[in-house]
Amino acid sequence: MFTLRPVLYVTGLLLALLALAMSLPALVDFVHGNTDWRVFAISGAVTLFLGGILMAGNHDGRQAQISVRQMFLLTALSWVALCIAAAQPFAFSALHLSPVDALFEATSGVTTTGATVLRHLDRMPPGILLWRALLQWMGGMGFLVVSLAVLPSLNVGGMQVFRLENGDRVDRMLPHAASVTVSIVGLYAGLTGLLTLALWAAGMSRFPALLHAMTVISCGGFSTADASVGAWRNPAVDWVVLAGMLIGGSPFMVYLNLVDQRWQAARRNRQLRLFLKIFLMATLVLGLWLIIERDAKPLPAIRHAAFTVASVLTGSGFATLDWGRWEGLPVTLLFFLTFVGGCAGSTSGGIKIFRFQILYANARTQMIKLLHPNAVVLPVYDKHQIPEEISESVLGFLFVYALSFAVVAMGLGLVGLDFWTALSASASALANLGPGFSPVIGPLAGYGALPDAAKALLAAAMLFGRLEMFVFLALFARGFWRR
Amino acid sequence: MLDVRPVLFISGFVLLVLAAAMGVPVAVDVATSHSEWPSFLVSAMASAFFGLVLIAANRTAGATDLSIRQAFLLTAVGWGLASVFGALPFYFGTLRLSPVDALFETVSGITTTGSTILTGLDGLPRAILMWRALLQWLGGVGVIVTSVALLPILGIGGMQLFRMETSDKTDKVKSRLAVVAFSVLLVYGLFTLVLAVALSGVGMTPLEAVCHAMAAISTGGFSTSDQSLGHFGDGARWICVLGMLAGGASFTRYGAVWTRNRRALLDDSQIRWYLAVIVAFAVALTVWNWLGRDLEPYEAFRQSVFNVVSVITTTGFHTDNYGAWRGFGQVAFFFMMFIGGCTGSAAGGIKIFRYGVLFAVTRVQIRKLLHPHGVFVIDFNQIPLTDAVIRSVLGFMMFYFFCAVLLALGLTLFGLDVVSALSGAASALANVGPGLGSVIGPGGNFADLPDAAKCLLLFGMMVGRLELATLLILFSKLFWRE
Repeated sequence: MFTLRPVLYVTGLLLALLALAMSLPALVDFVHGNTDWRVFAISGAVTLFLGGILMAGNHDGRQAQISVRQMFLLTALSWVALCIAAAQPFAFSALHLSPVDALFEATSGVTTTGATVLRHLDRMPPGILLWRALLQWMGGMGFLVVSLAVLPSLNVGGMQVFRLENGDRVDRMLPHAASVTVSIVGLYAGLTGLLTLALWAAGMSRFPALLHAMTVISCGGFSTADASVGAWRNPAVDWVVLAGMLIGGSPFMVYLNLVDQRWQAARRNRQLRLFLKIFLMATLVLGLWLIIERDAKPLPAIRHAAFTVASVLTGSGFATLDWGRWEGLPVTLLFFLTFVGGCAGSTSGGIKIFRFQILYANARTQMIKLLHPNAVVLPVYDKHQIPEEISESVLGFLFVYALSFAVVAMGLGLVGLDFWTALSASASALANLGPGFSPVIGPLAGYGALPDAAKALLAAAMLFGRLEMFVFLALFARGFWRR
Repeated sequence: MLDVRPVLFISGFVLLVLAAAMGVPVAVDVATSHSEWPSFLVSAMASAFFGLVLIAANRTAGATDLSIRQAFLLTAVGWGLASVFGALPFYFGTLRLSPVDALFETVSGITTTGSTILTGLDGLPRAILMWRALLQWLGGVGVIVTSVALLPILGIGGMQLFRMETSDKTDKVKSRLAVVAFSVLLVYGLFTLVLAVALSGVGMTPLEAVCHAMAAISTGGFSTSDQSLGHFGDGARWICVLGMLAGGASFTRYGAVWTRNRRALLDDSQIRWYLAVIVAFAVALTVWNWLGRDLEPYEAFRQSVFNVVSVITTTGFHTDNYGAWRGFGQVAFFFMMFIGGCTGSAAGGIKIFRYGVLFAVTRVQIRKLLHPHGVFVIDFNQIPLTDAVIRSVLGFMMFYFFCAVLLALGLTLFGLDVVSALSGAASALANVGPGLGSVIGPGGNFADLPDAAKCLLLFGMMVGRLELATLLILFSKLFWRE
């Protein structure tokens, strides 16, 4: 058995950070004279205490080297622990959520999903609203770190394409990854600030502007109104949120290129280009549908269409229209877009664009090979040959993704959800989108009405999808717990 | 430029076989004294004439060997021509089907799908029912021969795994076709005969027995009644379950039972998985039907087993309207449509062996996570999988899901609801037959769909039947170059 000490130490550290974050809503509630501040203060104290114990008990004087197995365990354990700790304020506040509901809401926040069991958000105390937004913001940041520094070095689902260095030993890779990650987290915070200003300028008041900026950049989807962004009835706000979601769903490396003034590299980013192409095409189809079938005027139709497509594609889940009540073509299109997802190296979820590019490159060479069986053709991605390893990684990823989708959907059917609700809830949770496409779980309906078993299953699916599945599967690999 | 003469030459023989087959419904019609026989006779003459013209006009001196391109073209042209000429009796007959409807019914038959646009089957002229069953039976033969002899050589979707001999030179195509076709036909015919005898033994009329035997062994699913097997007794249902199971397993393995040992069937990991998947779904649905829908235990068992076997073998018989089993039932049947039977059978879908490959790759993936530099052998059925096979399977999966998505989107464009569109696309691509929901579910009918949707679906059936790349490659620029 390998030593758990560094794993528990870092988990403790993260819990302590979460505890510090809880002081913010406590402060806001205190200023507003809301009694919930005590809940946040107590939850914070409990979390800090637990985190402190873990840190103190597993402190190791030397700089600990983290092995592959420890890395897997750390990633899985810390996310689960954070979700549980973050659920405390929901359970103990004046909302009195049941444990399952509280866990669902917290997991949906940390995984930047945006599915909610809460109603009457407009009258909610500011502390809770801030906490929800904070969870998504921190979850988005955490995922950026994971997807830039952790997943590529762990060879999860073809993410090795994005290795920052040639070396492939975890310990050697970390320092460089760390410096890149620090600058990207800085960018993330800066973008949040810019979005807040833009939303404020567009007509939101300061508090909702800040909260929306946090949930937009993280592709989260929690809003401060039951009607989501649609409640503002303000085209300028729609456009800013739309831009924010696209920024959140693009690879953050591009922004680093821009900062370093490497324009060519940014412009040539293959993933970003396909992402925008898919976005434009889907917007066109949906816009035409709105104009033809719904008699919408062209400009609002394009705005709503672009907003909806961006929201679904990036896995955000904001809404200006209640697409839960649509039928036929538009929901089917949105359903499939859920699977596509945004770019790797962003805060969005789903299968991710680059995997489709690898698939496409592979399928193309297959066609050539069919005609010329003895030809030596290798699939190419971004001018680099795709090694067999990566094709296999992507294949494995897709298989597990499809299998999880089927298993979760069947599980939801088993606890009584209808066909379309089960399918869309499963797809939505795995891709960290949030709302589904049936009236029961549409963007304006929320998940409150589902049975507890369904909520628990969905919360598990969110975490499973967020950490790209293999992080959890590795824990069950033969030999993981040995020695 | 591609020499199309050998392609047309062989296609001519396909048409001759089709023309000969039309003699059967003529005989049936004369025996039951209906007025359907002239249309069959005319169609048979047209097919025979056209076939002879093709043969005569494209004869080349000496035995020609097919190139890869010609093999691809032959598959598409052969199936396409057979569908068009097979539709003639529906078009000329007393049913007066529109061209699209006639073609839909024929393609659904010949691809062993089993979606129908006809209602009131019980009252239709017997000759029509016979022709539908015959189309499926012949389609089944065509599929097995294609998938055993041709696809492995062409390297479609990982089928390279099933190259039987050491020589994989493409110039052996024709001789292999002959050898394999003969042995498989023998088994296929034998099974049909046994099934027909068994079915008539439990009270079906001879014609019903023959039709159902042919539709079961080819995993087709055309019935002689609107209620499908729901019209018949328990004995017939259980016999059909056995027939479908036999039809969905690899036919090449039956030969192995004969020549090698009796355990050859269960030694094949594809067949083991196939049975395991069926048992798993059947048990889950039985329990759900029993506890969740308050059916009697036997009734729950019977309904679950029959319909699970029917969907996984992509047959499409039904005894109950499982499309209306709300909740778990519908979701489970939807995903079952993506499984499919074994290769080397008449069943459609993604097929068990590809899941076997996927599973093997994923398992090694997970182990590799812990040992990034470890060397693992990925094997299936004790054969190590080469990169080419894995990439090929990856390509197949990508095409499959891409086609399913495009089909479903296309169907919603023509006004279908979400459930019908998703299940219709999945069902057509996998050659199952019925979809889910109230329109095209089991017991439902495809007649009310718009013509454009029917065309999409029949294209989907054909693409799925020929394992995608075989047909799709004709649409690529690469194919027609040089």
